[in-house]
Amino acid sequence: MNVVDLIKSYGSKTVVKEVSFTVPKGKVLSLIGPNGAGKSTVMGMISRLIARDAGVIDFEGQDLTKWKSKELAKHLAILTQHNNVQMKLTVRELVAFGRFPYSGSRLTPEDNEMVDKAIAYMELQEYQDQYIDELSGGQRQRAYIAMVIAQDTEYVLLDEPTNNLDIYHATNLMRIARRLCDELGKTVILVLHEINYAAFYSDYICAFKNGRIAKFGPVEEVITKETLSEIYKVDFEIMNIGGKPLTIYY
Amino acid sequence: MNRAKMHRRNVTRLALLAVMVLVAVVFYLLVNSHPEKPKLFQYILSLRLPTLLCMIIACISIGAATLIFQSIVNNRIVTPALLGMNSIYSFLHTAAVFVLGTGSTLFLNANLAFAVDLLTMGVVGTLIYWYLFKKTGHNVLYIMLIGTVLSSLFGSVQSAMIRVMDPNEYDALLGSLVADFNNINGEIILFATIMLLVLAFVLRRELGLLDVITMGRNQAINLGVDYDNVIRKLLFGVVLCMAVATATIGPVSFLGLIVANMSRQIFKTYKHSHLMVGASLMGMLALIGGQMISQHLFHFTVPVSTFVTIAGGIYFLYLLLFKKGAY
Repeated sequence: MNVVDLIKSYGSKTVVKEVSFTVPKGKVLSLIGPNGAGKSTVMGMISRLIARDAGVIDFEGQDLTKWKSKELAKHLAILTQHNNVQMKLTVRELVAFGRFPYSGSRLTPEDNEMVDKAIAYMELQEYQDQYIDELSGGQRQRAYIAMVIAQDTEYVLLDEPTNNLDIYHATNLMRIARRLCDELGKTVILVLHEINYAAFYSDYICAFKNGRIAKFGPVEEVITKETLSEIYKVDFEIMNIGGKPLTIYY
Repeated sequence: MNRAKMHRRNVTRLALLAVMVLVAVVFYLLVNSHPEKPKLFQYILSLRLPTLLCMIIACISIGAATLIFQSIVNNRIVTPALLGMNSIYSFLHTAAVFVLGTGSTLFLNANLAFAVDLLTMGVVGTLIYWYLFKKTGHNVLYIMLIGTVLSSLFGSVQSAMIRVMDPNEYDALLGSLVADFNNINGEIILFATIMLLVLAFVLRRELGLLDVITMGRNQAINLGVDYDNVIRKLLFGVVLCMAVATATIGPVSFLGLIVANMSRQIFKTYKHSHLMVGASLMGMLALIGGQMISQHLFHFTVPVSTFVTIAGGIYFLYLLLFKKGAY
């Protein structure tokens, strides 16, 4: 995926200003930055949820808008943070929706197999016939990830997936994101607020500030005292734990 | 409960409902119908049959329209009637009479008048609500608020037109405008039926997407739905269904709310095929049953819509106050 000169304005306020970057395939990329830096808007645009004002998003040789929506859904999956479904839906039914781009509402035996696998991968077997509004936040988040897995796309986009989760579930979720890349070979793009999760679990980081990319590169290049202090206007200390640069800020 | 079991349970419940409706239909047609006097029997049937057909058509329209609309806005309490689709219809109908006069051919032929209403309603209604959706970013609260305002705005404009109208014209208008259960619009039954069938056929692909639409905009797009396009078409369908319902039996404000929510409560599924059929059947049961009570118990002194409004109002409050978690 290749993003060139992306621009987005709301009224007179330009929130994304000529953003260009290339998504490294088969890696985990995290978008970080302070509130209002434009990272979520960029995520919205590369996942076609938000219309862009200008720029090109080249996805597998073709601009995103040229793709047929249904075809694109077999290659790119997005999970946003607000998922309040207003209907009675069991975990299995939710996960089965992931097969919608392939078979519509009529599942084939292969589809059912994919659903089984996704449920097993997320260890949701015992909950599969429970209604999702009866699950805890962490379980529900896992059910949604299972749906994304059933969708079987090369690209998985997660918009602030750790929001509203406690450290146990948030850490679990980050491990899952890592496994999606390492075990299933997917390209994972995340929008994250927690810098340490980004630093520990991603391969590349794209740091935003005021609608522009402040720094893009491998984790070690972006997670430095100077860069982070410049972006967040807060004092940082960097420590090396388990070979990863982790930050302390106060 | 696993899926197969749930599916079977829902199909059984649907069948049960259908049988109940059938029984109600038979009772409605035959109670006090004096089959021993063929002439009278025939006359009574000729009165009851059109009413019955109109109620059935209206129930299907209201059930379908309400469920589709609720899925579009992702909310189980808002209904098209609450957003003033009925009053837009009344307004447009009055405006047509106001401009053209009751003497025009357009107005003398009930089917032609209905066609004009459908056309204007389809275009104006879809444009208004589509614009509202776009502008507010599908914010239900705003849509609700604007809908309520629009509803009284159109109501006022309509009554202003009525005030300056020729009294004879007004009288004729009233007869065609305020359809109710004892003054149903029987001439358009065939047209309305064809209309619904055509709508179902034209929108068959979009109706199949309803289950996914209920997941919300982001999820629907993620799963490959051409969202804006589909929503516009579905809205068009909703508006026309509401026009059909209002034209045949007049505005019954709470019926959609009751049947849609009861259907969800009973079937506990996301599948619109079940929910829509269930809601339509329940509507028929309520209306036919209510009509019988109104006919035989109250001798037409209390119309069905009064029962529906009272029951609906109480149910609405119950949903708001005690079922908060579910919405």
